[in-house]
Order: sequence, then C-alpha cells, then structure tokens
Amino acid sequence: MARRRRGRTGEGTVKFLTFGLCLAMVVGCCYYIYQYHIRFNPDKILSESILKEKSFASKPIEVISPKNKIKAYLIEDRNVPIISFSFLFKGAGYISDPEKQQGISKVVAAMLTEGTQKLTSQEFKEKLEDKAIGISFSVGLDDFTGAMVTTKEHKEEAYSLLKDTLTEPRFDNEDLQRIKLQIQKSFLLQKEHPKNLLSLAFKEYIYGRHPYGRNPLGKWEDVSLLTPADLQNYMQSHLGKNNFIIGVTGDITPQELGKVLDDIFGQLPSNSAINFVRAPQIDFSLPAYNIEHKTGGQNISRFAAKGVSRNDEDFYPLYVANHIFGGSGLSSRLSQAAREEKGLTYSIYSYLSLADKSPLIQGGFSSTADKYEEVKEIFEEEWEKFGKAGATEEEVENAKQYLLSSYNLRFASVADLAEILLYMQKENLGLDFLQNRNKNIEKITTQEVNEAARKYFVPNGYVSVNIGSFTKE
Amino acid sequence: MAKIYNIIFTVLIICFCIKDSNAKLFGAQSFKLDNGMEVIVIENHKAPIIKHMIWYKAGAVDEKNGKGGTAHLLEHLMFRGTSKVSGKVFDEVLKQNGVINNAFTSYDFTGYHHSADISKLELIMALEADRMENLEISPENFALERDIVYQERKQVVDNNPAAPFSESFRKVLWQEHPYSRSISGTEDEINSLELKDVKDFYEGFYAPNNAILILSGDIDMNTAKILAEKYYGRLKSRPLATKAAFKPLKENLSSKIKMSLPQIKTSRLIKTYIAPSYNTDKEEIYPLAVFSKYVGDGETSELYKELVLKQKLALTISSSYDYATRSYGKFSISALPASGVKLEDLEVAIDKVLQKSVKELNIDKVNKTKDKMLSGLVYLQDNPLEAAGTVGFMSAIGMSVDDIEKHADNLRKVNYQAVKESAQKLLSQTPVVTGILSPKGEK
Repeated sequence: MARRRRGRTGEGTVKFLTFGLCLAMVVGCCYYIYQYHIRFNPDKILSESILKEKSFASKPIEVISPKNKIKAYLIEDRNVPIISFSFLFKGAGYISDPEKQQGISKVVAAMLTEGTQKLTSQEFKEKLEDKAIGISFSVGLDDFTGAMVTTKEHKEEAYSLLKDTLTEPRFDNEDLQRIKLQIQKSFLLQKEHPKNLLSLAFKEYIYGRHPYGRNPLGKWEDVSLLTPADLQNYMQSHLGKNNFIIGVTGDITPQELGKVLDDIFGQLPSNSAINFVRAPQIDFSLPAYNIEHKTGGQNISRFAAKGVSRNDEDFYPLYVANHIFGGSGLSSRLSQAAREEKGLTYSIYSYLSLADKSPLIQGGFSSTADKYEEVKEIFEEEWEKFGKAGATEEEVENAKQYLLSSYNLRFASVADLAEILLYMQKENLGLDFLQNRNKNIEKITTQEVNEAARKYFVPNGYVSVNIGSFTKE
Repeated sequence: MAKIYNIIFTVLIICFCIKDSNAKLFGAQSFKLDNGMEVIVIENHKAPIIKHMIWYKAGAVDEKNGKGGTAHLLEHLMFRGTSKVSGKVFDEVLKQNGVINNAFTSYDFTGYHHSADISKLELIMALEADRMENLEISPENFALERDIVYQERKQVVDNNPAAPFSESFRKVLWQEHPYSRSISGTEDEINSLELKDVKDFYEGFYAPNNAILILSGDIDMNTAKILAEKYYGRLKSRPLATKAAFKPLKENLSSKIKMSLPQIKTSRLIKTYIAPSYNTDKEEIYPLAVFSKYVGDGETSELYKELVLKQKLALTISSSYDYATRSYGKFSISALPASGVKLEDLEVAIDKVLQKSVKELNIDKVNKTKDKMLSGLVYLQDNPLEAAGTVGFMSAIGMSVDDIEKHADNLRKVNYQAVKESAQKLLSQTPVVTGILSPKGEK
C-alpha cells in the first residue's frame, strides 16, 4: 500500500511536474516567439542581419610639393574619375577686412570667377561650363575659402584656370561695377526676412564694435568705393602661401599632386600681412534684447553662451553634452520638451559654433507670439536643469552610439572628404584624426559630460536676442 | 523633420562629359515585388553607407478639397509610432544606430529617407515596412502634430515676407488646379483637419503598390532583392484611393499680379509659363530643357548676357524648367531689376530677348548648349546619398529607370529644329502669368 501510495504520489508528482514543465515550455515558447518574432527587436534584427559592419579607413597622406614645400592632405579615391580641392587662406575672413574697406573680401571672392588676364569674364565662365569645372570662392568670419572640382578628363584645364585666377585675376572695372551693384541688392534683401534681421542684430549686440559684430556683407559705403587696385592689394596682403591650407581627394596620385601644388599655388605671395584681430569679450550677463518687429508669423529667438575651441580638452565632452541638450533633432532635451511633448514649436536647437576667436554654444527657436513665453520658460528650465543635473548614463551612451555609428556618412562625396582634410589641418587634428576620432568619442565618460554641462550650461550664462511682438495686448 | 520640399530640378543640376552614348548616368537598376512595390538599386561601393528611401506616389495634390495640409500632417504622424513600435522607440533606436532620417511632402509625392552605415539597413527596412501597414494615430498625437505643423507653416511660410506674394501668384497661375494649393495647408485648413482625414489618406495611398523603394550605396542587386523581399515582400497590396484628376487649365489666361508688401525692400519680377512635362508631353521636355539652359541658365545664358551685361536692366536673371511633375510643368524666369528700372520695362525687354533668342537659334548654339549639359555627367556617380534623391524624385513622378538612365541620350538626340519649334510653341502658349513684387509705397 505504502509502496503503491508512494507510487501514486510519485506518479502524481511526475504528472504534476510534467504538466508544469509543459506549461513552462509553452509559456517559454510563447515568450520566445513574442520576444523574437512578434515584438520589435532591434538587437535581433541587427545580430542576424546579413549586412555587417565593415572596417573602413580612408587614410590620408601628407604631400609636400617639391619646390615650394606647400603641404596638402590627400586621400586618393579612384571610384569615380573626379578630383576635388578644398582650400582656405587662414585669417583672411571678413573680420580682417581693413577698417575702411569692410566687404572687400566678399568682392574679391566674387571677382575671382570673373576672368583672368587671358580670359574675359564670359570666356572664363564658358570654359567652366564646357568642361564641367567648378571653381568657387567664399568668405566666412575667419577665413577666405575656395573649392575646385573637375573631371579627370579636363583636369589640366581646371588647374590652369585656378592658377590664372589666383595669380593674374582680371578685375575688370565693368565686372567690378556689376558685382558691387549685386552686393548693393544683397544689402536690401538681407533686411527682409526677420531671421536675417535678427542675425545681424545678434552679432551687433553680443560683439559690439568688435569685427565679429560686422555685417558679413561689409559696409555699402566702403564697397562702393573699391577699385581694381584695392582688390589687387587685398590679394597680395591676404592670400599668401603662409596662410594657405588645402585638402585634396579623388583620382590623383601624390606625385602628381606635388607638382600641381607648385604649379597652381607656387606663385602666391610668400607672406600675407593680415591685421591681427584680438579675441572679443562677450558679456554673457547682458539682458535679453527684444526687437519689436511685425513679422508674418512668429517670434524668433537666438542665444549664445560660452563654448570651447576644437582643441580644448573640454571639446568632446561638451560636444556630447550639446548633442543631448539640443543637437540631436527630435530626441534632444529641447525638442522633446517644447516640440514633441507640447507642440509649441517646429524647431528648437543648439549647436557648438567654432569661430576661431569666439567659440560659443549657440541656438534658438521660433514660435507664434501666444506660445513664445511658454517656450522661453521651457528653454530656461531645461538649460538650468541640464547645468545642474547633467545627463543620464543612458543618454550619454545613446549619444555616443549615434556619433560613432553615423561617422561613415561623412564620406559620401569627394568634396565632403576634401573639406574634412582641410579642417583637420586648420584645427591641427593630426594626420591620424580619421582613425582616432571614434576612439576619442568612445573614451568620453558620463562624468566628463556632466562636468562640461556644469561648467558651460551655467544658470543665466547666456545672452539672447529676439525679434517679434513682445508687448502684451 | 518634415520640410516642405520644393525641388527645382532643372535638367541634371550641375552641368556635366561622357562622349559615348549608352554610358550609365547613375547605374540604377530596378525590379518589382509581387505586391506591386517598385525597387530601384543604385550600387556605389565607395563607402560602407546606404540611403534608404520610400517614396509614396501621393502628395498634396491628392488631398480632398479644403483639406490642405493632410499629406503633410500625415508625414509628421508617421514618426509617432505604430501598433508595434512607439514613436519614441522608433526615434531612439534609429538615433542609437547613427541613422539620419527625415521626410518631405511635395505636391506629387511624399518621401521618407534614412542615411546610415550599411550594417543598419535591415533595421531601417523593418521599421519602414512596419509603418507602411501598422501606423497608429492617437487623438493626443494627432493634436500635438497638428500644432507642430501649424508652427511649421508659421516658420517656413509666414515668417517669409515674400510669402503672401508667392501664394497669390501660385493661385493665379494654377487656377483650380491642385498645384495652386499650399502644401502645408492654409492656417484655417490646418486647424480644421481631423484625424479621419489623415487616416483616410494613409489607408488610401500608403500601400506597397503605391510606393517606390530606393537603395543607394554599398549594396549589390542580389542582396537588395533578398532584403526587399524579406521586409516588404510580405506586405499586402491594397486598393488605392482615387488620385487627383488634373482638369485642363484655361488656355487663354494671360495675367499679371502686382503686389507691394511692407517688409519687402527691393522689387523683383517673375514670369511663369505653364509648360509640357514628362507626363503631359514627353517628347517636348528634352528640347525645352535645352532651350531653358540656352536662354536663362547661368551667367553665360542669353538673358543674362543681354539684360545684365549689355542693357544693364537687371542685376540677376535666370530661368528654370520643371518638367518632372505628375501634371503640367512650368518654365519660369526670375529677375532682380537694376535700380531705377521699371519692372514693366524689364518685362518688355525680357519678352524681346526671348523672341530674339529663338529667332537667332542655330545648329551651333544648340550643339554648344547640349555639350554643356552633357559635360561632367560622371559627377552623378559620386555621392550615393544625393543620387538616391534625384533618381527617386524622377521615378516618383512616373519616369522609368530606363528613361532616367537615358536622359543624356535623349538630350543628345535633340536637334536644332526641335528646340526652335518647342520654344516657339512655349512662348506663344498661355497660361502665362507675370508677377511683380515691390516694397510698400514704391510704384
């Protein structure tokens, strides 16, 4: 009996256990099926993907021209038979335009595609179009920049056009008059959109009389008086070999590039003589400045706080911090709070601006006047909260993952790559920057990010300028 | 997210030299899934990256009357989550994987794009396929996004001092045609949109049989086929809602609109002719593209040489020809007059130059223009992220991959006679509208 009972008990236990086991298996299977087949499971998709990460390393080399010792960074890329140059003259931006010739750099940049001693403006432009050669110049705050792109087929023509325009530009009076009148129109157009009015007022308010506060177009009174001789003088004093930097990509060998550098840029003046511009002092405690202006839609706001330069040890942590705060599109703290959760604005953002002598955290938003105060409060709260508490471990990890995984997208075109090579040199990032950049991102810790947040997202540590309707009706 | 896309696709934007015919432009290839979805693959192995785009062949023109802004609002709501993946997770997962994504709404189509490292492609496809069939729109998210698109309209359209002019100009030009609408919707339209409107649009048009998938970058045809089948192949084709019917425009309209606005500081002129498009008259578009390039594209064009350089009546002038549209195309000239020049005088001068340019056309001029257009086509093979947009845009309005790849050949075949005849026809054709915008208080 006892045995049987025991047996029965044993059977019962077995049955019970078997049932339990089956149930567990069914539940387990269901859970497995749910987790791995029904529920969206990004990790599973990625781990089972037939497309894997590839090591991709575009390694630049340094080329030094044999005669003039002009240095370039080069990445040879033979995928498509094209060649791209990206170059700049350091310090020759509009902040270094002579006090009485504000706007001259812009005029020179425009006139450099208006012909050479050998070719009239029309002949020059016809040649660019016939041979599909792109040559362009532009002026920023700090530097005078240029770019050239050509097919391999017409490279000789491209090199000689670029050389001729840099060494013997035409500067015809008639062309100069036309360019001046076009710039005169730009002064007018610049004063139409409230966004542009704000941008001008913002510079003036934070920089005052410092050259960083200038209108990027200069002054019409100065521009109107410029002569071809002034432009020649500008070229001699601003565009020299000593402040020249270049990045090159595409279907060109180092040997060929060495020769080409001497040929195109060898005859530039050895030494430019650019006015030294001291670093501006910004008073971040200035009160907000509201410009009353009837716009068609919204109030627009811009702000600036102290930032860091590209080579500062705080750069990477602050870069990540800013990404979390206002740099990552819809998932940033600012977008989440003002846009995604409240629907108060279409865009609210922040970014690191890296002007040579005035690195800043900048940003802004725009919103209809009835919602403006609310967005402004959200911005202030988020700023203060971020400065005090910083970011979470998860936010930092996500930001780092984004910056790491999106890295290869920078290599989409030869022109993009040439520009990266240019700025690697300008900022002294080193020849191995492309290989080290991700390592630098990986190293960043949450603690470093939060220290940067505390140091730079200081309560009331920003100055803001706004345009729109601020008086309550 | 969600910028309103106004592409001005005048020929293949940069000018470009392939001498041999039949050479590839993009090297695009295509196939179709059983459910009707078109797939276009552009191989480019320069970097381990990819651009994934889904183009729905429905846009603002397909909205119901008075429901302006539906297509655009739906585009926004596509980021707010499905029954399987919430909007927040959608955004976070993509961000964690370094995916850069956005979307755009146009008259003729709506597009969603993702750029990423190639290893992330399957993730993107899973998410995009999911929101093609499982979109969920809660009343809360609907209300929030409607507020956001309202703010977007205020920022992108109303903040622009010239916007009232552009909107009025469009209405006069396009009359009752849906191209007269505002893509964002008017303020009133946005505020009156209901959840049902966007839901109907989604159900009516967001189906694999109304979509084009573009894969451009580090992928081969075989892999593209396997993955397209895996993620999109299982989606069911659905009956589509009725698309826009394009009624003919009043043929004899020749009109002028003048407006002075307070924030405008300098006057400008625009003149637009309704023109043939790929879909209304395919044969006409190649000669007209050559004409547009010759007469007004860039600083070596006839209009620029005559009116800016010689007569000094204008400071800038250019033409553009949009032929990649589902309905009519358009040919436009825009100019900034020189100081002291009356816009009416400039208009007369423009007409004279147009007539003279047609009259003086000859074989050499046509060949020279064609050479410029055909020079440097090889640039099109450089940037895979850009190629996706160009090819997608053209295919979304109905161009076949064959036609896209043969674009250069078709231009090459254009002869002098055809350019002359097409140009004459264009310039004698109405509707044509001239718009003059000037500062308040200026005549």
